[in-house]
Amino acid sequence: MAERTFVLPDLGEGLTEAQLVRWRVEPGARVEVNAPLCEVETAKAVVVIPSPWAGTVRTVHGRPGESIPVGAALVTIAAADEAGAQPEGEAVLVGYGSRTPGPGEVRRRPRSSASPSASTEEGVRAAPFVRQLARELGVDLTAVAGSGPGGRITRADVEAAARPDDRPGPPPQAPEADHDGDQRISVVGIRKAIARQMVRSVSTIPQFTEFAVFDATALMAARDAARHKGRPITPLPYFILAAVEAVRRHPLLNSSWDESRDEIVVKKSVHVGIAVNTPNGLLVPVLRDADQLSLEAIAERSSRLIEGARGGSLSPRDMSGSTITVTNVGASGPIETGTPIVNPPECCVIGFGAIRLRPMVVDSQVMARQSAWISISVDHRIVDGGLATEFLTALVGELEAIRA
Amino acid sequence: MAEKPLAADGLSPQQLLDLYRKMVIIRRADQEALNLQRQGELGLWGQFLGQEATQVGATVAMESTDWIVPSYREFGMAMCRGIDPGEMLGYFRGLTHGPWDPRRYRFLPFTISVATQVPHAVGFAMGCRLEGSREVVLCVFGDGATSEGDWHEAMNFAGVFQAPVVFLCQNNQWAISVPLRRQTAGSIAERAQGYGFAGVRIDGNDVLAVFSAVRSAADRARRGEGPSLIEAVTYRMGAHTSADDPTRYRLDSDLAPWSSRDPIETYAAWLRSQALLDEGQADSIDAEAEGMAEAMRGKLRRLPLPSPAASLFDRVYHDPPASFLKEREEFEATLEPVE
Repeated sequence: MAERTFVLPDLGEGLTEAQLVRWRVEPGARVEVNAPLCEVETAKAVVVIPSPWAGTVRTVHGRPGESIPVGAALVTIAAADEAGAQPEGEAVLVGYGSRTPGPGEVRRRPRSSASPSASTEEGVRAAPFVRQLARELGVDLTAVAGSGPGGRITRADVEAAARPDDRPGPPPQAPEADHDGDQRISVVGIRKAIARQMVRSVSTIPQFTEFAVFDATALMAARDAARHKGRPITPLPYFILAAVEAVRRHPLLNSSWDESRDEIVVKKSVHVGIAVNTPNGLLVPVLRDADQLSLEAIAERSSRLIEGARGGSLSPRDMSGSTITVTNVGASGPIETGTPIVNPPECCVIGFGAIRLRPMVVDSQVMARQSAWISISVDHRIVDGGLATEFLTALVGELEAIRA
Repeated sequence: MAEKPLAADGLSPQQLLDLYRKMVIIRRADQEALNLQRQGELGLWGQFLGQEATQVGATVAMESTDWIVPSYREFGMAMCRGIDPGEMLGYFRGLTHGPWDPRRYRFLPFTISVATQVPHAVGFAMGCRLEGSREVVLCVFGDGATSEGDWHEAMNFAGVFQAPVVFLCQNNQWAISVPLRRQTAGSIAERAQGYGFAGVRIDGNDVLAVFSAVRSAADRARRGEGPSLIEAVTYRMGAHTSADDPTRYRLDSDLAPWSSRDPIETYAAWLRSQALLDEGQADSIDAEAEGMAEAMRGKLRRLPLPSPAASLFDRVYHDPPASFLKEREEFEATLEPVE
C-alpha cells in the first residue's frame, strides 16, 4: 500500500481554484477507481471528482465551503498495490509542472534574459501568478520553501512569507494588498454566486416595492402560547405560513417570467426560499412544498435549513428551486425595513422587519403595540401595483388573524 | 420496434449485434474520458453521450477505404475505425496535435474550429474523384456548424461540382449554450435542395436508420451521383465540454424526453425482441467495455511527454534546409537533461 495524494486539477481550462461543496467519502472508506470522492464548485460548474485510484481514504483535505487552489492536496489515499506500483506521478495537467520528468527527458533551461528576476529565481518552481504576487509583496522566492508538489511554491507560501510574524494566515479569499494600499478581494464561491444573481435580478427584472406595518400582538401571543407548551418557536414560521396563505389567494405572486417565450409560469408548488445570513455570505435554503406543511413542520424544517446553511452542510439542491423568498430585514439594530431584491427567477420577495413595541393607533387611542414592517418587491412584468397591494393586504390580514 | 425494420436487411445477426457492441464500448470510453478529465489527466473532454447511434451507424455504413473528416466530438467514430482510444486521448492531454496516422485509418485529425473541416472534406472528395478512385468522403459536423459561412461555401461547391461526399449533421440541438431554435429558423436537411442535392432528416438515435441513410448516400456518391446531406436528429445529453455547465442554460425537463429515447437502450430492446441479444452476450460486451476502459486509462498514463525539439521542428520540412537544422541545434543547446 502506497500513500498517494491527489491534488486538485484544473477542471476547466485555466481555473485556479475550486470551492469544496461536500465530501462523498470519509477517512477510512474503501474506494474503487472512479468512485465519487467529493463535489467541488469552480467558476464554471459544480463537478463530482472521481477517485483516480482504488484504495483506502486516509485524509480528506479541506472542509465544505473552503476554497482550494488548483494543485493543492485534495485527498490522500492508501492506494491498492496494483495502482500504487504504477510508475506515473500525480495528474500531469495540474499546472503542467507536477509530474517529475523521467530519465532522458529534457526540460527547457530558462534563458537568463527571460525575465528581469530570472537570474535570482533559477530553480524556483512557481506559477506566474505566484511570481507576480511575490513581486507585489516583495517576497524573495529563492528564500521560500515550496509546499506544493515537487517543491512548487504556492500562493499560500508566498503569503505566509510576506507576513511579519506567526499570526495564522488569512483565508484564501483574504484581501490582497494593491499598489496604492487599496484592498483587492478575489470574488469566488458564494460571493460570486450572490453577485451573479443580484446582477441578473436588477438587470432583467423591473421591480418595485411596497411597504406595510402590521399589528403583531396576536402573533406574539400565539408564539408565547406555543412556548408555554414547550415548543420554542420564532416568528419566522408564522411569516411563512401567512405568506403561503396569501399566495393561495393570489397565485400570480408565486410565479416566474419565462424570458425565452414571454410567458408567465404560475408555479404549482410553493417552495419558500429563506434568506440566511452566514459567515460566508447570504444563502437561500429552500423549504419545499411549504403549502403542504403544518406550522410545526414549517418551524422544524426551516430551523434545520437555517442551521444547515450556517454550518455549510447543505447541498446545492437544498438551495435551489424556490418559487418565492422571505427575508428578515433588520433582525437586529434599529432598522425598520428595507427594499429586498427579487430572487430570480421568482416574482416576489417578502421582507419581514423586527417585531417590537411601536406607537399604533387603536380605537382612536395611541398605544404601544407589538408591530413590524413588511416590504414586498415584485416583478412588474407580472404584477401591477393593484395586485401587489391586494397581496400585501392579504398578508397583513393573515398575520393579524393568527390565533394560538 | 417490434417489426424488423427495412434498414436491418442486408446485415447479419452478427453485424446487428456488433452495432450494439460498438455503441456500448464507445459510451464507456466517453464516460472514462470524462472521469480522467476530472482526475486531472486530460485538459478537456467533449462528451458525446446520447450520440452513439449516429457515430456507430455512420462509420459502419462507410467502406473501410472511404475517408472520414470529423469535427472534435467524433471520438466514437475514430474508435470504430480502430484507432487506439488511449493514444487518441493524448490529444486531449495536450501531448500531440495528431495522435494517429490519418492515411492509415482514413480518418482525418479532429477539428476544433467549427465548420473548417467542411470545405476540407469537399476538396478532399474532389481530389478522390480527380484521382479516379471510388473513395467517398464522410464529412461530420454539428448543428452549430451549419450557421458558419464555411459550411455554406462547402455545400455550394459540393453541389456545383458533384463532389463524392456525404455530409452528416449530428444535430444534437445545442451549439454550446445556444439552442437550435435560436440559430436555425428552418430545416437543416431541406437546405440541401438549395444546393442542388438530396437532404434527409433521420432519427439519429436509431442506429439502423443512420446506417441505412449513410449507406445509400455513400452508394450514390460512389456511383457519381453527387453529394447528400443527412440531418441526424439526436441530443447532446452531456455538457458541451468538461468546461461547461449545462444546468445554467437548460432544465432537467429538457432532457427527460431524450432519456427515454436512449439510442443504446432502444436498440437493445429491439435486439432482444428479435432474439439477437441475450443476457450472456450483454454481460460479455459490458465486460469488454470495462476492459477497454482500463486499458485506455493505463495507456494514457504511460504516454511519453513530447520532445520540445521534435514538436517544434520535425514536421516543418520534408527536406530541412541547413539553416533550419542549425536553428534546431541552437534550440537543443538551450535544453538541459533532467536528472
